[in-house]
Amino acid sequence: MARQPIRPGGRRGRIWPGSLRRRLVVAFVLVATVSAGALAVASYLLVREARLDGSLTASAAEAREDLNLATTITYQAAGDFVRAYEQRGTHAVLIFPGGRKVTSDDQVNPPIPAVLQGFVRRGQLGYQRMDVAGLPYLVMAGKVPGSNAQLYLFFPEQSIQRNLAQLRNTLAAAWLGVLLVAALVGRVLARRTLSPVARASEAARQIAAGRLDTRLPAGAADEFGAWAAAFNEMADALEAKIAALSAAQARELRFTANVAHELRTPLTALVAEASLLSGQVSHLPDPARRPVELVIADVRRLRTLVDELMEISRLDAGSEPVLQRLVDVQAVVAALISARGWQDRVTVDGGPLTLTTDPRRVERILANLVGNAVEHSGRDVVVRTGTDGANGCVDVADGGPGIPPEHLPHVFERFYKADSARAGQGSGLGLAIAFENARLLGGTISVSSDTERGSVFRLTLPLGPGGDVSER
Amino acid sequence: MDERLLLVEDDASIREIVAIGLKAAGFRVATAVDGREGLARFRADGFDAVILDVMLPSLDGYEVCREIRKFSRVPIVMLTARTDLIDVVVGLESGADDYVKKPFELPELVARLRAMLRRAAAPAEAEPIVAGQLEIDPAGFAVRKDGIELALTATEFRLLLELARRPGQVFTRELLLQRVWDYEYLGDTHLVDVAIGRLRAKVEDDPSHPALIKTIRGVGYRLDRA
Repeated sequence: MARQPIRPGGRRGRIWPGSLRRRLVVAFVLVATVSAGALAVASYLLVREARLDGSLTASAAEAREDLNLATTITYQAAGDFVRAYEQRGTHAVLIFPGGRKVTSDDQVNPPIPAVLQGFVRRGQLGYQRMDVAGLPYLVMAGKVPGSNAQLYLFFPEQSIQRNLAQLRNTLAAAWLGVLLVAALVGRVLARRTLSPVARASEAARQIAAGRLDTRLPAGAADEFGAWAAAFNEMADALEAKIAALSAAQARELRFTANVAHELRTPLTALVAEASLLSGQVSHLPDPARRPVELVIADVRRLRTLVDELMEISRLDAGSEPVLQRLVDVQAVVAALISARGWQDRVTVDGGPLTLTTDPRRVERILANLVGNAVEHSGRDVVVRTGTDGANGCVDVADGGPGIPPEHLPHVFERFYKADSARAGQGSGLGLAIAFENARLLGGTISVSSDTERGSVFRLTLPLGPGGDVSER
Repeated sequence: MDERLLLVEDDASIREIVAIGLKAAGFRVATAVDGREGLARFRADGFDAVILDVMLPSLDGYEVCREIRKFSRVPIVMLTARTDLIDVVVGLESGADDYVKKPFELPELVARLRAMLRRAAAPAEAEPIVAGQLEIDPAGFAVRKDGIELALTATEFRLLLELARRPGQVFTRELLLQRVWDYEYLGDTHLVDVAIGRLRAKVEDDPSHPALIKTIRGVGYRLDRA
């Protein structure tokens, strides 16, 4: 069954880490500032309305009074009348019938808005807000009762506008303050809210890294608490399952080791007995000779199998010591060839190769590979030494029938026999042992094969620190 | 021939067939079924060599070996069923000269015994060698340090003699295996390392900082004439 990808995006890198936190902060800040902004704008508008209305009411009352006062003013006295306004900061303009105009301040000489003039001519009290010489004024205007003179009063509104500007600034500053506080509070809140998520991803990473006893702090009464409890349950189940699996594996390994060990005592007797019998075969009566020869051969086979089982269970137990010596690989190959009498079947090629490694294991691996090649091809085995970067390589090539591609990936598996008809004497553990030994030395064995030119097994081992070697 | 061997082995089949094999090879063989009996028999009769199983009831092979070493330098070969390196090393450190892994071919055991017995026989040469505070007397099979005789086993003696004959020369482990143990290259150099360790414990003033027998890293050992 195909595994379902957990995230459609696949890789973790695609997701912006912490983006959820950022979004939470942004949302929090938006809500806080929009409401604070709306509140500020509304209160400003209300205050402004109230202030301007107040100013208008007061000015209108004053204007009515002043219009009444102006009924007695003649053109000649008008100058003094209007100038009296200047002391209050108010400009005043009186326009007598015929267009004669008296201004409280000839320098300023405020312009009279046409719309307002229309109102006044119709006998109404009018007002208009306008700037005179760059300052804000409320202009109130009306017809002086009992005459055709018009009075225009320019009440200053600078202080109102200044107050409103101050209020505006204060509100804007407060709004900015709210924005900052909201950002800070939002950050803290978001971090605190999302911290269980961060803890959970860290815990998941720890579990993935093999620390199966990692748990989340549980006990919070919220959704995260429930989540943590579920996570911990999953981790418990996982840990129990893996513990059970490794216990089972350890049991199996121990069983193999025990079986091999228990076989040893009777096998020792058998080997000694066969060893004695083999010197007596020629003295045996004919009908017994062949069976005895077979017994001797089978005891040898059994011995090989038990030896190899012991060896592989030691390798599995991971308790094998590794020596570090300078090893002349070509010398090892030459020694093992002559010890086994393969001189006319195996040739050595390539340059000298010196490694810092365990000589016994290298010998074990090469004896195995060469033995395997000799067994499968009979002759024309070539052992070639060389280097490949920081590694030494030994190729063992045979001119045998090769290994069919479907068997190639399995040749290092235990008890795997590519061709039962061709299996020969091997226990089926030889290549597996060679492979485990190579791995123990930090190297590997690879194989390539074609059915015409035969197989090449390549042992690759690290060169190791040359010359300077540690030992007892 | 006619050397007398003591075989201590608890498994009846192995005991019987090995005894038969050794007798066929020309040895005189006595057997014991456990550690206590083996030790008692050795004390009572004395033997030319001892073959000692490691896993024995009542007193294990290491113990028997240590007991024998307290009063005898007789060649001892251990039969070890456990091939873990630690067992081999413990066996050698308890004073065994050699070990054979179970299962073994009889000719292999016989060859090892003969090599050990050859070693135990005094070398032909007679000239004493002086190395530092040591005086090695091949004829008398004795080593004296500042005039006091040291209790070396036959293997340790041969090892010291081999190194002392050519002071300053580096011996590879393989060469020492060949010269002292009479083995062709077997790759099993623990024998050499452990024997060197035991020898140092007896001849060096400070065995952890040897002044006489030096380790040449990655190569082997050398005796410095102090």
